Amino acid sequence: MTDTISSGPGAPKPALRPSQRRGSRKATMTASLFIAPAAIAYAAFVLVPLGMSFYYSLLRWDGIGEARFHGLTNYITVLTDSDLLQIIGNAFQLVLYFTIIPVGLGLAVASAIRGQMAGRFGTVTRTVLFLPQVIPLVAAGIAWSWMFASTGLVNQTLKAIGLSSWARGWLGDFVWALPAVGIIGAWVLLGLCTMLLVTGITKIDTSLYEAARLDGARPWHEFRYITLPGLRQEIGVCITVTVIAALASFDIVYISTQGGPGITTTVPGLEIYRLAFAHRQVGLASALAIVLMVLVLISIAPVQWFTRDKK
Amino acid sequence: MRAYSRHALRIALTLSTTAAIAGTALAAPSCGTDPVVLNSYFETGFPLPSKLAEEFTKQFPNVTFDIKEDQFANMMENSPRILSEDNAPDLIRLPSLTDLVANNLLLNLDSYFTEFGWDKFPAGQLVQLRVEEGGRPRGTGSLFAMGLNYSMTGVFYNKELATQLGMAEPPKTLAELDALLAKAKGAGIQPIMQWNKGTAGLAFPLQNLMGAYGAPEPINDWIFQKDGATINSPENLEAAEHLDSWIKAGYFPSDANAIEYFQMMSRFIGGEGLFMFNGDWESGNLDTNTAGKFGFFIMPSEEDGGRHATMSAPLTFGIAAKAAHPDCAAFFLDWVATNEEARKINVAVGGSNPGGPTDLPMPAVTPGSVTEASLAAGQTLAEDNGAMDFIANATGAIFAAGWTPELQKMVGGQQTPAGLLEAVQEEYETQLSR
Amino acid sequence: MRTAAPNTLVARGLIILLMIVTLLPFLSMLSAALAPQGTYPNGLQWPADPQWGNFVKAFEVAKMDQLLLSSALIVLGVVPVAVLIATMAGYGLAKLTTNKYKWLYLVFVFGLTLPFEAVITPLYYEVRALGLLNTRFAIILPLIGLYMPFGVYWMRAHFLNVPHDLTEAAQLDGATRWKEFVLVQVPLARPAIMSLTILLFLWTWNQFLLPVVLVQDPMQRTMAGALGAFQGQWGTDIPLLCAGSLLILTPTVVLFLIFQRQFVAALMQGAVKG
Repeated sequence: MTDTISSGPGAPKPALRPSQRRGSRKATMTASLFIAPAAIAYAAFVLVPLGMSFYYSLLRWDGIGEARFHGLTNYITVLTDSDLLQIIGNAFQLVLYFTIIPVGLGLAVASAIRGQMAGRFGTVTRTVLFLPQVIPLVAAGIAWSWMFASTGLVNQTLKAIGLSSWARGWLGDFVWALPAVGIIGAWVLLGLCTMLLVTGITKIDTSLYEAARLDGARPWHEFRYITLPGLRQEIGVCITVTVIAALASFDIVYISTQGGPGITTTVPGLEIYRLAFAHRQVGLASALAIVLMVLVLISIAPVQWFTRDKK
Repeated sequence: MRAYSRHALRIALTLSTTAAIAGTALAAPSCGTDPVVLNSYFETGFPLPSKLAEEFTKQFPNVTFDIKEDQFANMMENSPRILSEDNAPDLIRLPSLTDLVANNLLLNLDSYFTEFGWDKFPAGQLVQLRVEEGGRPRGTGSLFAMGLNYSMTGVFYNKELATQLGMAEPPKTLAELDALLAKAKGAGIQPIMQWNKGTAGLAFPLQNLMGAYGAPEPINDWIFQKDGATINSPENLEAAEHLDSWIKAGYFPSDANAIEYFQMMSRFIGGEGLFMFNGDWESGNLDTNTAGKFGFFIMPSEEDGGRHATMSAPLTFGIAAKAAHPDCAAFFLDWVATNEEARKINVAVGGSNPGGPTDLPMPAVTPGSVTEASLAAGQTLAEDNGAMDFIANATGAIFAAGWTPELQKMVGGQQTPAGLLEAVQEEYETQLSR
Repeated sequence: MRTAAPNTLVARGLIILLMIVTLLPFLSMLSAALAPQGTYPNGLQWPADPQWGNFVKAFEVAKMDQLLLSSALIVLGVVPVAVLIATMAGYGLAKLTTNKYKWLYLVFVFGLTLPFEAVITPLYYEVRALGLLNTRFAIILPLIGLYMPFGVYWMRAHFLNVPHDLTEAAQLDGATRWKEFVLVQVPLARPAIMSLTILLFLWTWNQFLLPVVLVQDPMQRTMAGALGAFQGQWGTDIPLLCAGSLLILTPTVVLFLIFQRQFVAALMQGAVKG
């Protein structure tokens, strides 16, 4: 997402002398032949549907009968209906879990180990921590539904350590269902973030730490003034990936809670699916879809800007 | 296409038989003799339709079933989409009819009604399956589905725990039921085992309480989408308040919102819970797997000797408007209600009333079984004319968008009885205005 | 260069803890998968009499062989085409166009953050209009399009880093260009293409939303979509559900264990670049 590369050494020279114009037209032809297949596929299955989404969002349509023009009413509904606002809020609450846990734990591990994980231990660690990235999110949802079930491992553990009063039906609890879904997402993203940060920290010049120690810096200061700035890019990547995963989540919620209890775990992705295909409110679903897309863009932009390479 | 093939069949049949035999019986649609694959969409966890399909294939080897199954909550969401697609199912378990009829997704069964002579079935059983043109109201108009059987909800009880608590016979009034619940709670026994995840299982006790406090007719009007009907009535508020008092008294499991239907069954069968509000579709299952351990009674009325009213609905199956083999599917639905072997399976596996022509005998049931008790309860209900459709069947989305979230909130202490009925009524009106 | 890390023990302990947390759900599923069918087992408890037969039963009811075939067909339909046209476009955008066409690149990049949910509704109607609903093409064609932002972005970034003089070979005509692309550029781009292939394979195999909306028949779905249907049909039987889930996620895990290094590299670069 950085566009620094485009002005790098590889960028073609823009200079075109008049004598070259003929050749350049030919070159343009060649270029378009190379680009066309991808552009067509992209247009047909992304740009056109996106345009249609916007068009549908202005309609009142059940998907079968006749559609009526509805103006911006659907958008007003999305931005004023208390249920829909709660649903959008749920997605942002998920960001807390999907993002903060993996990035926080990842940073802790990275600054503790501060070095490449080599040898057999490194390989085993990488392999294990990447497992959740390889399996379908659906499988993660099933596995964790089972972990959080009344007779599942979480309650079993709590009872074993004498916290029976804490045991509950996690995914059906008004307070705990959303955090529980958040934990599932954190579990999936934890390994990726940890490995990115562990790898990133090895790129920081170790002499910086040595110098800091000679100056009598405490570990917290090392972390604050050397590790954090040095990992700026990796942290940015982690936040970007996890924020998108949280805002656009669907699979995990669909499998583990179906959005309940009440609507405490319903996220925009699930609501779009329900509105469009079960409740037959294609217009409202599309308006929510467009709003979701914009929210993702708005949330990602500052992260991209802030963590951009400033070296 | 369909009409054409049926006509062709009819002509062929007429030509190949002597004219002396009654024409109508022969003209009735059938599955023919060519291989037919019925595209079927059933509900997960209930073996009855598949068992019936198996027997049907045994009797009519040219017919096989391509069965897909899904959980009820998914079926509610998927059925409009599946019915609108090209390979729409021939047989489909339907959660709710009105929206599907409004969108012309279901086949009108009126011609089969005549051809198969379904007028011999008790008219009351088919009322819920009739829908007026355009999708509302329900309860009158053309026939759009049939029941595989006709079930009712009531209260299952654990006989051992009941004896332990000194319950000699089923409670006759709501007060007696309350007393038993309190007694169970006091004795450290889970008073009611009920699910509330995925879909709201508390809708069963709620509707039973509604039936105890008021008449079924206004509730049916609401479910059938009659003009001006409301669920937010004083009687229903009393019922909702009563339900809330049960929640507050801790009669339901504290993790009810995390219990799915089949978990409830497994825990109830495992001895957890004195009562369970559920339908007699589980009677057969309980008789087969846990003979003698459980009983069933109809929800008592508020006063002794009062009118009984409870949810009683067909196990609704319809035929897609775009189905490839509608005749064969209709023939199957007729066969289920009239074939002796099918009726036996129906009662043994399902445990509910198989319906069908009134002059057909009811298959024998084991004395003392749950099935016997639930069929007897069905008799009581019929005498009191107290059958209501399920409050969750009022519109296609009222269960998913109304009852389920609001009842889950009530269990979580986030919704009041009045708020529950208001919220559901509001959702109902929003959906009807679309 | 490397100084001995200060808190090696703490770090190792933390990592081992993370690994345990990562593995526990799998172990819990395994123990449940071995419990007798139809029971509600405990979270993590080795059954007295492990029912390995549950896996056989799950293999049969899930029709694993057909599922594998279906997923493989979808992957074969998506990945080679997507990688090829993304590579071509990446090359075209990096080497054959001037800054004047940067907008085109930006249009592609715009799709990078697009949630699939934003286009799923119109995709449904589009695929239905094409008459492809409930076929594997309902998944294959949209996925190729949906992968273009990342694929093009990824390959363009690679080609930009290729030294310029390779392409400076002058204003070649189309045919020669094509030859140069196939004979010189593609072989050089092998690592980038490999990573892209791995990522697209994983994303396709694990794709859930598209099959759920566009294909009803689990036998025409991806593995993840089929798992969703499996949960719908057998979710009421925890041991069978766990056995089936473990079976369904085995193929990718096995591939991952074999090509561990390549997978990890691809996933990490994919995150950084994406």
